[in-house]
Amino acid sequence: MAQSSPKPSSFNVRGLARYALVAAFVAVFAVFSAIAPAFLSGANLLSVLVNNFALLAIVAIAMTFAVAAGGIDLSVGTAIDFASFAFVSLVLAGQPIPLAILGALAGGSLVGVFNAILISGIGISPFLATLGTLFVGRSAQQLLTNGGNPVYLPPSGVPEAFRFLGHGVIAGIPVPLVVAFVLIAGAYLILSHTRFGRVVLATGIQASVVRYSGLALSRYTAATYVLVSVIAAVAGLIVTSTVTVYIPSSGNAFLLNAIGATFIGTTLDPHGRPNIPGTVLGVLLLSIVANGLLLSGLNFYWQQVATGLLIFSVLAIGFANRKAASRA
Amino acid sequence: MSVDAAYLSPSLPASAGKDTDVTSVPARALGRKLAVFALRQGSLAVFIGVLVYFSIAAPFFFTVGNIGNVLGQSAIAGVLAIGLTIVIIAGGSNVVTGGIDLSLAANMGLSAAVYASLVQAGQGDAVAIIGALGTGLLIGAVNAAAITLAGIVPLLATLAVMNVVAGLELVLTQNTVVPASTEFLSTLSASGPFGIPVLAYLLLVFTALVAAVVQYTPVGLRLYAVGEFPEAARAAGLRVKLFVSGAFLASGLCGGLSGILSVSYLSGSTTGAGDMLLPVVVTALLGTVFSRRLVPTIGGTLLATLFVSFLINGFQLLNISSTLVSGVQGLLILLVVSATTLLKRKGNQ
Repeated sequence: MAQSSPKPSSFNVRGLARYALVAAFVAVFAVFSAIAPAFLSGANLLSVLVNNFALLAIVAIAMTFAVAAGGIDLSVGTAIDFASFAFVSLVLAGQPIPLAILGALAGGSLVGVFNAILISGIGISPFLATLGTLFVGRSAQQLLTNGGNPVYLPPSGVPEAFRFLGHGVIAGIPVPLVVAFVLIAGAYLILSHTRFGRVVLATGIQASVVRYSGLALSRYTAATYVLVSVIAAVAGLIVTSTVTVYIPSSGNAFLLNAIGATFIGTTLDPHGRPNIPGTVLGVLLLSIVANGLLLSGLNFYWQQVATGLLIFSVLAIGFANRKAASRA
Repeated sequence: MSVDAAYLSPSLPASAGKDTDVTSVPARALGRKLAVFALRQGSLAVFIGVLVYFSIAAPFFFTVGNIGNVLGQSAIAGVLAIGLTIVIIAGGSNVVTGGIDLSLAANMGLSAAVYASLVQAGQGDAVAIIGALGTGLLIGAVNAAAITLAGIVPLLATLAVMNVVAGLELVLTQNTVVPASTEFLSTLSASGPFGIPVLAYLLLVFTALVAAVVQYTPVGLRLYAVGEFPEAARAAGLRVKLFVSGAFLASGLCGGLSGILSVSYLSGSTTGAGDMLLPVVVTALLGTVFSRRLVPTIGGTLLATLFVSFLINGFQLLNISSTLVSGVQGLLILLVVSATTLLKRKGNQ
């Protein structure tokens, strides 16, 4: 897995180009401010953060852990869905909200435990294992919902605490955003400043070294995938409380953008490794672009093309750079 | 996975320890051979067993008409899966840094849209065919350039291309169905000799042609060499990047071809081509289990495609909910991969 051979080399040339992501971000920001006056307004920027950024950021952070460990998790959407389903079912059954939240996190972590067994227990490569989980999970949801029918929460039967999760405000900041910020900060601390985070990163760079260092590699890998699913479950909680409905297999909508943001973020690191600030910036870039294109009045279908081209260019610059650097 | 194993075993001093127990090595090798044999024959046995079960449970299942229909329905996914298999062979089985082409399904969608739009614009079939295949080839070329020139890992390069291509399809069709009917298209979707659909014959001929090139020519052998151990292939004087680019071009062409097939099968281009992606990935990966050395092969991919199609068909005939199909696909891939992983692990110890 860890073939992205990090080689120490001169930072001067790369230092500049390394910030392709930051440059892209600034450029996009400037362009949209120029063409769409509404873009820069506080209300719009807040709506970007709440509607586009918060959820994707949570999923992308989860993905970052999997990628940092040298793997990938294609079943983050499944964890979102399972959490969402457990949450809706428990609320409908009249359980108190705190219990429903715990149930949702447990439901999501089931997916992670399943992945952990496949990846650390049996030794299947993460891509294949989580792809299998994605398919099995899709079928399981269709069985649970009578062939894939959405489960609605009636507006009247929803407790106040539930509404708070999706639409509440803490100190003037919407709850989804607060949750996203807390998770970002927590993930940053875990990945960069704890022993667990260092082992995860080391696993991604050279797994065999971790094993030879006498560390229980499989246990760390298992913990990583469970952590990924629990973080994704939080996204499931928030999305459900925002839209008050569970739609089977809807979580997969986040998958490709989360992968994109994570890998866009790797261009920020001198060694091209996954990192939380990079991921967050990647998510921010994707959200800003989505919102800016919408405001710019560009044909809806062209928006997807433009987004794809932008991701493509950032990746191309980032990777071409890294390639040039490793050759130097 | 096999690439990792290939890299690790020679380079790690610790793995030298595996030879200390010299006496039992032949015995283990034999045991492994037996296990691989069992797995390979086992998967074929399961395939045949499933066919036999469906034939008994649903009398209509084992009729020429039904089998022909299943073959015909498999054509689109089969051509896509074969394209992906070529990429997996050339890129190695490490799915993130090696062979994967996520843009294939979107490629099919755009090629189909180009074909249907050209027909709508009053062009003939020849122009439309060139348009569709050209679209596929162009997408393959972009992938190849992104991977070999810019050095983006295939998973991401093809992911980004997939987004762009899917967007272009929306732009072209405005997210609507573009109907197309020409004589050529109706010939393709009609029944051929023995009441078997022309698409079924096409799939078989196409598979045979690609298999001939990939499994039985020097080019094919080199393709495997490039995928399984790029460093060694490079040291042996093979132009690795050329082979990788070629594989992505070939898979792009497969995307264009399946686009044409889907226009004929559905009498036009429809939206939602992206839904084909993951099933096709699973099918191509599943194909390894039908090969002697548990590597991706064209024939194995065809068998995997047919296996999945027969399952879906059998479920329909038996009135089993088709929602189970994706679960069965998922379980299959997990079972297959677990078995191969455990075997490889045993073999390495």
